[in-house]
Amino acid sequence: MLARVADNLFWMGRYLERTEHIARFVNVNYFSSLDAPNETSQSRQFVLNSILRMVDDEPEEGEFLDERTVLYDVVLNPKKMFSIKSCFRMARENASGARDLISSELFESINKLHHYISNYPVELFLERGLDEFTSNISKAISTIKGKIVTTMMHNEVYSIIMLGIQLERATDVIRIIDTKHQDAIKTKHELGYRTSYEWTTLLKCLQSFDMMKRFYKKVPTSKDTLNFLILNPECPKSVMSCLNSAKENIDKLSKKKELKSSFFIGKITAEYKYKSIDEIETSFNDYIQKVISELAGICTSIEDELFNH
Amino acid sequence: MESTFYDEVFKGKNEIRDTYKKLFQLFNEYQVDDFELLNEKAKVSFLNQGITFQVYDKTTTEKVFPFDLFPKIITADEWEHVETGALQRSKALNLFLHDLYHKQQIIKDGIVPIDLINSSENYLKQMQGIEPPGGIYNHISGTDVIKHSDGEYYVLEDNIRCPSGVSYVVSNRVAIKRALFGVFNNYPTHSVSNYSENLLDIMQSVKPAGVDIPVCVVITPGVFNSAYYEHSFLAKSMGIELVEGRDLFVENDFVYMKTIYGPVRVDVVYRRIDDAFLDPKAFKPDSLLGVPGIFEAYRKGNVTLVNAPGTGVADDKAIYTYMPQIIKYYLDEEPILNNVHTYHCSRPKELDYVLNNIDKLVIKPVDESGGYGISIGNKLTKAEIEKVKSVIKATPRKYIAQPIMALSTHATYIEEEKSFEPRHIDLRTFTLLGKDKSFVLKGGLTRVALKRGNLVVNSSQGGGSKDTWVLKK
Repeated sequence: MLARVADNLFWMGRYLERTEHIARFVNVNYFSSLDAPNETSQSRQFVLNSILRMVDDEPEEGEFLDERTVLYDVVLNPKKMFSIKSCFRMARENASGARDLISSELFESINKLHHYISNYPVELFLERGLDEFTSNISKAISTIKGKIVTTMMHNEVYSIIMLGIQLERATDVIRIIDTKHQDAIKTKHELGYRTSYEWTTLLKCLQSFDMMKRFYKKVPTSKDTLNFLILNPECPKSVMSCLNSAKENIDKLSKKKELKSSFFIGKITAEYKYKSIDEIETSFNDYIQKVISELAGICTSIEDELFNH
Repeated sequence: MESTFYDEVFKGKNEIRDTYKKLFQLFNEYQVDDFELLNEKAKVSFLNQGITFQVYDKTTTEKVFPFDLFPKIITADEWEHVETGALQRSKALNLFLHDLYHKQQIIKDGIVPIDLINSSENYLKQMQGIEPPGGIYNHISGTDVIKHSDGEYYVLEDNIRCPSGVSYVVSNRVAIKRALFGVFNNYPTHSVSNYSENLLDIMQSVKPAGVDIPVCVVITPGVFNSAYYEHSFLAKSMGIELVEGRDLFVENDFVYMKTIYGPVRVDVVYRRIDDAFLDPKAFKPDSLLGVPGIFEAYRKGNVTLVNAPGTGVADDKAIYTYMPQIIKYYLDEEPILNNVHTYHCSRPKELDYVLNNIDKLVIKPVDESGGYGISIGNKLTKAEIEKVKSVIKATPRKYIAQPIMALSTHATYIEEEKSFEPRHIDLRTFTLLGKDKSFVLKGGLTRVALKRGNLVVNSSQGGGSKDTWVLKK
């Protein structure tokens, strides 16, 4: 496989995943806040602030946020690199660059969503389309992922796409955890940090609420939520699970030629495997930063080793 | 005016030609609304599949190449004539190219004037003396034919640089089978899906000496090229890599592609990049699309380029006029397909005729493609005629003129009118030449000018296409 095309596939995977997370984050946060049990969580400013932080466009302290502007910027503004529109455009451009390698069915599903996003009227979105638009994006991305699994050979092409998806997922999950963790701190005077409503929102953002309840059989607390989303290898959204899958895929690529990245991912995965949530909670902010930089390190290592020839 | 054109579907006013009778019977079962729906469905399907092209204007809009649901049908006998004629031309052009880049016997024998070669921008001196692997220059030829008012086929032009459009032939067929399977079932039609396997076979047949199983690739200028869909289609359907210039490099006169596991040698390159941009070391130095050193690798026989560089000299519209003589000279055969009479503006007498009869002629630049720069005499205003005259006078070698050909008309579904109307069509056929083998795609791209009365069928000029059914014997 061409190094450039592998790069395209990796980033196609990353942007697909990123688009999905932003769409779901905006949807869940916006709608969960409407009937939140506490005043802060119900505040528009609080939610908009949270949405902006998730896409790494942190507003100034005390800055007034206009709802239409924020929603437009994060979802449909083609000039904002973090918007859903931009992320998906990048996903599609990368898919185009690898068009000869991916199945027609996969390309068609990506292209269809591209036209849906491109043609969605801004006014409709701002007036009453938020749920429809973001939900349809989530559904379409599930379809796209289904095409990846069911119409592509599970060979090195597949492994590269999956590496992109899994490493992006781990990165997005940890960033979403970070955002909601800060939200939980901000609302602790109302419901307490440990039992904040923001943990529920966090789990819903990551489609893990139902499974978490089934697993713990109780209302989410900070510790259980973080444990579930970071360290539980059976939760498909957890950082641990993403790393395990990434390891499997890099190992497949390592069969033809031994890759240092495989060793690197293995080392980090092993460290997480023997980590306890108590250790993490004591210095949570530092931990988050460490995870983010380690994930970035893995991506750089893969790029250097496989794409830059 | 319309009555002077040959109608492919109707004979006289209301009589349907035999070939189309069955089709009409079957179409009668549909309402206009059904057609509108099928038409819309086909459009959306093309758009979703990304079977689109980009027009070179200020925007980067993707457009669906308009597709017409009314197929052009060609009987087995008629096709045989077109097929043998197209193959004959491709073979003659190949021999002509070999001669031009070697002994130039045809010039010495006074058949083709040396001026035409010396003044051609597409004659590559760098190609002199090179023996292309398998002896083939124009592996892929696109011959554009029309049916004139006399019902005979005429060749409008030969395209032997990077003829495009074959992906639409295949995707049109897929679309029409889905939309009108009940109709298609009733016509025993040749498949067109075997193009790619034949192309790969042809590419492998011209592998460099000493290579056992050649690594073949398609090279594209990139995702923003208007024909990128076609490039990706070809690579995908042949199961080979689609590369860009930056994916290849040359070391010790061998070509390699950069893969995730390191360099892999490349043996045959189907290039969809024009000569000038192919190699900044050999041709245009500021080209970012090409591969530095690839021409030297080709010269040394370490890589095969498909088509060979320098083929453009032979599909020059001025050379076109000599095709009957070229065919006779190399093959000792009479031309099977007719040539349109052509006036060379470089010849003083003919120039005079052209300048005095512009309203009866089509003026074409000799070295442009895609329908750019064409002036159709009877559509010009007086001021425009004067302008064309002064342009021709300034650079007569750059222009040829032909009588306005009466491209046949064919019933075509027109969206705005919600009805079938006659529109002008031509047909691009695709011929492949390899070492000791050849292939002509049974079908081709029927291009249709969607505007009433328009004679230019190119997609860049608002043309669409039809599926072309070649019937089995």
